[in-house]
Amino acid sequence: MSLIELAKLTKRYGAITALAGLDGTIDGKIIGLLGPNGAGKSTLLKALLGLIPFAGKASVLGLDAGTKGAEIRDRVGYMPEQEQFIVGMSAVELCTYAGELSGLPRTEAMQRAHAALYYAGLEEKRYQPIEGYSTGMKQRVKLAQALVHDPELLFLDEPTNGLDPRSRDEMLELIIDLPGRRNCAIVLSTHLLPDVERICDHAVIMHQGRIRFVGSIDELRGARGRDTEILVEVKADAAKLAEVMTAAGATCQVMSPVSIAVSLPESATNELVFRHARAAGLQIRGLGVRRETVEAAFLRVIGEVPAPAADGAVPP
Amino acid sequence: MSEPATGTIHDLGYKRYGGTRRSTATRWLVIMRNQIASGWKTWWRFKASLGLAVLTTFIAGGVMFILRDKVVRDFAGQFAATMADAALPKSIEWYTRAAFLVSLTIGARVIAGDVQSGAFTFYFARSVRPRDYVLGKLGGMVGLMALIMLAGPLTLALARLGLSETTEQLVASLPLIPKAIAIGLLGTLVFATVPLAFSSLFANVRYAMALWAAYYLVFGLMVSLLGRASGGWIGALDLATALEAVAMHLFDLHLFRGRAGTVPYDAALASLLVHAGVAIAILSYQVRRAYGSGVGGAGLRRQAWCRSITAASGTATCSASPT
Repeated sequence: MSLIELAKLTKRYGAITALAGLDGTIDGKIIGLLGPNGAGKSTLLKALLGLIPFAGKASVLGLDAGTKGAEIRDRVGYMPEQEQFIVGMSAVELCTYAGELSGLPRTEAMQRAHAALYYAGLEEKRYQPIEGYSTGMKQRVKLAQALVHDPELLFLDEPTNGLDPRSRDEMLELIIDLPGRRNCAIVLSTHLLPDVERICDHAVIMHQGRIRFVGSIDELRGARGRDTEILVEVKADAAKLAEVMTAAGATCQVMSPVSIAVSLPESATNELVFRHARAAGLQIRGLGVRRETVEAAFLRVIGEVPAPAADGAVPP
Repeated sequence: MSEPATGTIHDLGYKRYGGTRRSTATRWLVIMRNQIASGWKTWWRFKASLGLAVLTTFIAGGVMFILRDKVVRDFAGQFAATMADAALPKSIEWYTRAAFLVSLTIGARVIAGDVQSGAFTFYFARSVRPRDYVLGKLGGMVGLMALIMLAGPLTLALARLGLSETTEQLVASLPLIPKAIAIGLLGTLVFATVPLAFSSLFANVRYAMALWAAYYLVFGLMVSLLGRASGGWIGALDLATALEAVAMHLFDLHLFRGRAGTVPYDAALASLLVHAGVAIAILSYQVRRAYGSGVGGAGLRRQAWCRSITAASGTATCSASPT
């Protein structure tokens, strides 16, 4: 059973098509849901939670989102981007209430509320009213309330928004820890592509109401992630190395006076570079597999070419 | 480059929940209980008004007991009643005041407060349906209001029964119980539903409170004065007047009718029921409309706004409104 299955999922708001016949199967442990504003991510989340009517089919954890929205929401946790607290409540009261609203008996909900808040790092502060919390603490409460009812799938909407670097690292550590410790999958909707690069194993990219990519992060990086694409650093005269490598059948791109990107022929290995460099009297200082960043891959997928760097070199 | 995280992950020992979950149909009970509990939390929201209702009960009960045989008449000598019989219907006016205070401190704040704090997302990202939310909030308000509008009159009705000196008097007084329950339930219904409807019209607590207060006090006074001047049904649009008129009619009290004296009973009853009905309809519509709108970030209007911002500024993203 896949986490999420879509078949011709369509949602229109009057003349606007928010989701244009989405198809696909989404699986993974931590899945990044990416897309520019208006791509349809929110609408997709709402459809998957069974909150809006739609055409076509969508299922979450094997349950039909069109007819079993309430059952899905019992098994799914949602951490929203915006604040969603109840005035006057402490964190432990809020999480207990959240557990009860998801069908847990009161005693169980209370026990799990304490455990979830402790796990999220709130410790003794969990008894204080939420209004007085810092942004980082509020984010932790939002994570805890999404976890309290023991979901099998978590939707996290911009979980690191507004956090300082240290809090952001801590939040990402918690998220990475979740699938292993709590046996739940995560769909992470975010604009922060470095976060996706750091913690996600799969990605879904949406643009203009369509899914442009579904697959693993390695697949997203595509051909540029192959080991036959390497970045070579030389002591000097990278252009000369490019010349001899091109003659040997490789495709080269001079990145700077001391580095070139080399696409080796299918059957070739790194040894080809060393051999030709030695023959040309060039000293190799470094050699690594050239990896495309998620950000570059994202822009490529949605059809926007990455802007050139200041020195004229094309970023990987 | 950021420092490596130093936070420790605490885990008290996670176990997957294997027990049964409560039926979705019982979610409204959880919301109702929370509504009552949060109302009870601070003294000024509910307890102060409850104190006023308790005080009213003691004073009316005291008058009923001490002056039970005192007969009062109108100037023309046309109508007469003992204080024991008049105390209960006259006390409704004071219970109404206490109920209005609760409606202002809790009722008119409930939905607007939830919208303002983003709690709709909290509710509807779970297996809570709009009708569970409406039922839960209404149930909670009915529970709180019943302590004021129902418990007080019912206590006084029972006290009146206790003052009976013979079995015949006791039997004759028995209809007071259903009448007290009827007026109590009517008052509870009106003061639970109408402020909630006003609350659902705004995403700002202060606006909701102000509009409800203006409707009840200013509009109520205007129609009440118009009703007195014209002698017609229009005074029934004032909720307090309508409730008093129904109480006076039910307890057959023709003295002390004041502003309620000019309002026909059927118009008053119809006004109260229509107010409650319209309020429930508005409440249900507003909650249904809001269902799902908070989940997932920006709505379509916000997205359109964001697109215009990004187009005008030439920036790639609009951080104010991610989708």
